[in-house]
Amino acid sequence: MTALSRRFGRPAVTLVLLVTVTFLIAPVALTIVGSFAREWTGVFPAGFVTFRNWAEVLGLADSIGSQRSMGWDPLVVLPVGDGLTLMAPAELLFSVGLALGGVLINLVVGVPIAYAVSRYEFRGKEWVNAVSVLPLVPGVILGVAFLRAYPVLSGTSFGLIVGYSLLKAPFMVMAVQSEFESMPLRQLEESARSLGASWPRTFLTVVVPNARSGIVSGAIICWTLAAAEFNFSYVVWAKGTQPLALFLQRHISNSTFTKAAAAVSMFFCIVVAITLLLQAFGTRGFDTRGT
Amino acid sequence: MARVTIDSVRKVYDDTVAVENVSLTVPDGEILGLLGPSGCGKTTTLRTVAGFETPTEGTVAFDDEDVTHVPPEDRNIGLVFQTYALFDNMTVGENVAFGLKMRGVDPAKRRARAEELLELLGIGGLSDRDPQTLSGGQQQRVGLARALAIEPRVLLLDEPMTGLDAKLKRRLRNELGELLDELGVTALYVTHDQAEAMSMCDRIAVMNDGHVEQVGTPREVYERPANAFVADFVGTANVLDGVVSDGTLDLGFERVPAAGAPEGPATVVARPEAFRADSDGEIPVAVTERTYQGDHVRATVTLPDETAVTLRLDPATLTDDENVRLTLDPTALHVTDVDVEADSDGAVIPN
Amino acid sequence: MSTSGRIADVLPAVRGAVEDLGSVAVPTTERDRERRRIAALCAPFAVLLVVAGVYPLLEVVRISVSVERFETVGFTLSAYRTLVTDPYYRRVAFNTLWFAALTTLVSVALAVPIAHALEKYDLPGEGLFVTLVSFPISLPGIVAAFMMLVLFGNNGVLTNVVATFAGANPTDVAVAVSVPGLFLAFVYSMVPRATLILRGTYAEVEEAAEEAAQALGATPLQTFRYVTFPQIRPGITGALILTFRTGLAIFGTLIVIQTLLVWTLQLDRELSAGAFPVAGAMATVYFVFVFGFTALGLRYTSAEVGL
Repeated sequence: MTALSRRFGRPAVTLVLLVTVTFLIAPVALTIVGSFAREWTGVFPAGFVTFRNWAEVLGLADSIGSQRSMGWDPLVVLPVGDGLTLMAPAELLFSVGLALGGVLINLVVGVPIAYAVSRYEFRGKEWVNAVSVLPLVPGVILGVAFLRAYPVLSGTSFGLIVGYSLLKAPFMVMAVQSEFESMPLRQLEESARSLGASWPRTFLTVVVPNARSGIVSGAIICWTLAAAEFNFSYVVWAKGTQPLALFLQRHISNSTFTKAAAAVSMFFCIVVAITLLLQAFGTRGFDTRGT
Repeated sequence: MARVTIDSVRKVYDDTVAVENVSLTVPDGEILGLLGPSGCGKTTTLRTVAGFETPTEGTVAFDDEDVTHVPPEDRNIGLVFQTYALFDNMTVGENVAFGLKMRGVDPAKRRARAEELLELLGIGGLSDRDPQTLSGGQQQRVGLARALAIEPRVLLLDEPMTGLDAKLKRRLRNELGELLDELGVTALYVTHDQAEAMSMCDRIAVMNDGHVEQVGTPREVYERPANAFVADFVGTANVLDGVVSDGTLDLGFERVPAAGAPEGPATVVARPEAFRADSDGEIPVAVTERTYQGDHVRATVTLPDETAVTLRLDPATLTDDENVRLTLDPTALHVTDVDVEADSDGAVIPN
Repeated sequence: MSTSGRIADVLPAVRGAVEDLGSVAVPTTERDRERRRIAALCAPFAVLLVVAGVYPLLEVVRISVSVERFETVGFTLSAYRTLVTDPYYRRVAFNTLWFAALTTLVSVALAVPIAHALEKYDLPGEGLFVTLVSFPISLPGIVAAFMMLVLFGNNGVLTNVVATFAGANPTDVAVAVSVPGLFLAFVYSMVPRATLILRGTYAEVEEAAEEAAQALGATPLQTFRYVTFPQIRPGITGALILTFRTGLAIFGTLIVIQTLLVWTLQLDRELSAGAFPVAGAMATVYFVFVFGFTALGLRYTSAEVGL
């Protein structure tokens, strides 16, 4: 028993890790590889290297069939020569904007309540904490609720932003709270106030800037999750530019395999870019629980 | 700087009484220590003066101004914490200048003032550093400079040295004591460390269980403790039972003159230095435990009546022999009473 | 981070809040000023919660008892009666529960050794492993489903490998669009989340106790059984509760792999069919169920709940 445990325990546990990581990551790698292939019907994709899938997905080339390619909108007109217009892919830009809107609301609602729970003692605090950190309503249910409560607004950008902000608020609260909990909040607040700063001023000029890294990582996590939110968007979205997650679903359901792979790969690129941004801010990635 | 008057303050949280009937006066320029075990109410008292707690009853006044209901930010107080609580989003200089910025002092002036204070505290030249890059001792000095920069009416120090190592603590203690005296700062100094309170403070208020047990100079508190708690908390105390009759204190193993002490049963505090080893001594004792401390040996001995007392012995003269003879210095004894009221003095054996 | 709440706390809390209102309006003590600050700090979240959460959910409850399909009129429990009596919905409920429960068990069972390896072993490239395991958390369910198509679909890599060796037609061995395929897609989404929660728990395990046990001659397995496991048990309970919630909420995956009729998918179908009262009733039942078992889970276990 003893020998068995010593000999096989660790390799077995390590094996589970390796197999699972392979299961999680191999399809990601294959998708990226496949997005550059002309066709994918055999064991492995074939016909390298083509950028046609990417170009079609991004709406830079005409695609065949029923799917619309992604539209391009003018982003800014640069004052170069006769005016150089910078174009941006519509779905991408739309999703970026929606998610940013959600993050803004999250900042306004999430940072204060995280501070209230981390800093003060009050009746019902445990419930306030539970409600603010637990994602209580799943996207589909919230979608149904929005359709009923706000039949006109729910399908609009505004409806999507408000919905995202409620769905992702717990992640903001948790990230900020774990940062707050590593700070001597009471002493910071009291020091600043003893020096003559009013409480609102203390909160804005001392507390919030000191929790900067937690707030930034919370914002990035919320942004990624809002950009990827499918369930809620699917239920409430009616017409117009599609949020990114719906755009992905359109390709996965209707496009050729390689083109779907390109669409999904594009999404991976966004996630990786965000993750790198996150690490650049020197925070702990998705580890919002604090260590 | 101002005179601080705490009058009959009582603070109740839900059902627990944190402080009860605390009245203290800190004259202008004095450093008053609040000394006691954790949970004795010393921090609550400090926070009441700071304004972070509003007393349930009683008042706090700076000079003649009642500040009981004035919010902390309008009180003009300096606050130094054990954890330093420096603002990591600002440089050292900005930390020190923060209070002046809140008062609308122009940038050039507040920078000059910050430099001046950092210089005064011996950490000039650190102005542009990030607080996280400083050592604990340096951070504590920055915290102090920041609190002093606003020329507070009273400086409140909450266990400011607890996080520092022993050697640094001793050095900073001396420096801080001199500096505060020089600046003529009125200060409340909360600590659980009696050595720190003794060396830093002009007077000490010993607190226990929400009450002030005794207020006095370090020497008074040590030599003439008001009751057994104070005797035991400040320094080492041997509490002995005795009877006073006809101006003589009978301790059972020894009789000493005690003119002026109230007749009847008495509780007597004898510091370790009241006993002295002496081969001609009249009290034979048995050494039951000895701990070598370098410059002295701390010993527990059993008196003829089986009472155990702690005293110091000279390592040079100490032999392995368990039997030692002692003499008792009657002038170093202090008759007190365990049931004595917190603010009354115990009777003292006249010298 | 740990959260525990008690239903019994709500009423006194509400009563307390009402009592506090008076002193909040005109503060005279520092405690009153503090109460006002707490109220101000909680207010933005409360507004969002009411506008985007409570009110819409109440509207859902109202339509679920409406006699009309598109308007909230009258009162009837017929939608709920349908849910309870119709064997079709009972089957959907049953599917939902067993599927979420089983995927949860498998995911947490995988997450324990993964978290153990990441937190306890000095693996080369540990940071990379952490990143790789965390990566799928940010992928929506539809992408998880696509990942399964890549491995096990008609064009899937593993499908074609197996088909080549077995000499069979790839479409015959493809499992992505089947219940087992859906199962794997669920696990794909749930393992990273469960791992995240358990890594947090592992980070709090007292290493001195483990080393003491090993110094006393315990094998790694015995150390885990008697020292580590008791310490991570609350974390495992928390992971089970939260992963189960994740499992119940999955929807995008089902849009791509429509092989098992579960609650969220059926809810979407009712919506498409315009059966608002039934959809409302399904949403209400779902919400009450999830809220209830989370509250009970927190109340009656020492579970630590983060995400």
